[in-house]
Amino acid sequence: MSGAQSDVRGSAAAPAVRPGTLFARLRRWVKGFSALNILLGVISLGSIACIWEFAGPLGIPMVKEVPPPSEVLASARDLVVSTQYWKGWLLSFQRIGIGFAIAQLIGIPLGLAMAINRTSFNSIFPIVEILRPIPPVAWIPISIVFWPTREQSVVFIVFLGAFWIVLLNTIGGASNIDRVYKRAALSLGSNSWDLFWKIILPATLPSIVTGMAVGMGISWEMVVASEMIAGDTGLGYLLWQSFQNNALAQVIVLMFSIGFAGYFSSALIRTLGRFATPWRQLK
Amino acid sequence: MQGALSIKNAGKIYDPGGSHVVALDGISLEIVAGEFCVIVGPSGCGKTTLLNAIAGFDQLTAGEIWLDGELMASPGKRLKPGPDRMVVFQHGALFPWKKVLWNVTCGPLKQGRLTQAEANEKAREFLARVGLHGIEDQYPEALSGGQKRRVEIVRALMNDPKVLLLDEPFRALDALTKSVVQEHLLELFDFEPETIFFITHDLEEAIFLADRAVVMTTRPGTIKKIVDVDIPRPRDLKVLTSSRFLALKAELGAAIHEEAKMAFESGERELA
Repeated sequence: MSGAQSDVRGSAAAPAVRPGTLFARLRRWVKGFSALNILLGVISLGSIACIWEFAGPLGIPMVKEVPPPSEVLASARDLVVSTQYWKGWLLSFQRIGIGFAIAQLIGIPLGLAMAINRTSFNSIFPIVEILRPIPPVAWIPISIVFWPTREQSVVFIVFLGAFWIVLLNTIGGASNIDRVYKRAALSLGSNSWDLFWKIILPATLPSIVTGMAVGMGISWEMVVASEMIAGDTGLGYLLWQSFQNNALAQVIVLMFSIGFAGYFSSALIRTLGRFATPWRQLK
Repeated sequence: MQGALSIKNAGKIYDPGGSHVVALDGISLEIVAGEFCVIVGPSGCGKTTLLNAIAGFDQLTAGEIWLDGELMASPGKRLKPGPDRMVVFQHGALFPWKKVLWNVTCGPLKQGRLTQAEANEKAREFLARVGLHGIEDQYPEALSGGQKRRVEIVRALMNDPKVLLLDEPFRALDALTKSVVQEHLLELFDFEPETIFFITHDLEEAIFLADRAVVMTTRPGTIKKIVDVDIPRPRDLKVLTSSRFLALKAELGAAIHEEAKMAFESGERELA
């Protein structure tokens, strides 16, 4: 391909302009014009906002029941100056932080142990297979009974949200390491300590990072659900309270807040993942 | 000189109670120190099984393998891979999570035979000798197929193995890259002769590289023919068109073809 191109360029008869029909050249020009893409985005978002804003006067069914963007923005202005709102952010993040961290601290070592040691796998896997299909939300009532405080039960639900996925990903990653790496390491003089730290752990890291990214998403679902049911603070609780108080504009602000919080957390995990597995950035 | 490899009546049966596949049967081969020995045979003839037994990755079910008077493998003997028998794997086994310099120096550092500075210097010297400069800080994934193979050979040689075991190392390379890497391997071998046990199914590769080419049969894997490759060293690509090369190729080719045909036909029979 590149050879053919250089041939064209090298020959005297080659045309001065790049080959292609007028339409293809137009498309290239449009592709390079990124402002147009921005414009497209603005138009599509703008039209959605317009339909939403004027759903009431236009009488669009269902959408007209939702407070229009102008009300939502007004509500957002009120919320961002309230301490309760930011306290909600802080507490939800705190619950995510603790529950998610404990899930990693238990899930990763347990997964590695289960992948390396047959006996531990055979004794623990049946428990995992019985408990894992239970959706973490279904644990909420028992969690409230089991843990002394509401706070602990919410953290526990968050923990469950991230735990299974990181455990399974760690087991999967560590059991599927190509055996040539272990063989090469043994030939080079490695003992089992080296094998673990220099081969098994780094080879499993990409799977762990994937598990963490997925687990973080589930954790946010869990913190919102459990705060709605069992919490007395946090973004999920505020959302539910706003609904109970019929402050629907506030509900929408909180929905977007939670979305943004989840996005921010995932971005954090992705950054951590890139930092932990630099060799993967080449692919 | 070190690295006399003695294979005595080696045998390997997979799944003796069940399907009873005889992978190796009565293989006896004396490889003298500093010899470049190439095993050539069709796929599935047990070449890799033999290499794995020498390397200490897999057990024999019969026979013995000795290296410089030390028993390396026999039925029931504990598997013990080590830096005296370094392996270059078919699909490559550079650690992707470590940079080239780490990959290449980890062996001698782990064995405590070199300091970090000595190992770095030796690594740079070896890499330069196979035409690789300034790639020490790259991850293996950033290298081309041919570069990776050379790095892996360097990693093995850094450990001063008594015998270097190569399992179809150039299989995945295109013809041009392959010839370059083969020449590099020969340069390394001429510079520092070492016992080399090289597996391939490529006839030309076998003759180009070998002091002796050993043709293996398929299931059971036995030795069919041993040919001395009396083409003088140092060799370069011109050898490939010499009359002696072509004569050897014809001689080996006949033996191999017979084998491949038999393997193919027995495969057909199994399918029928």
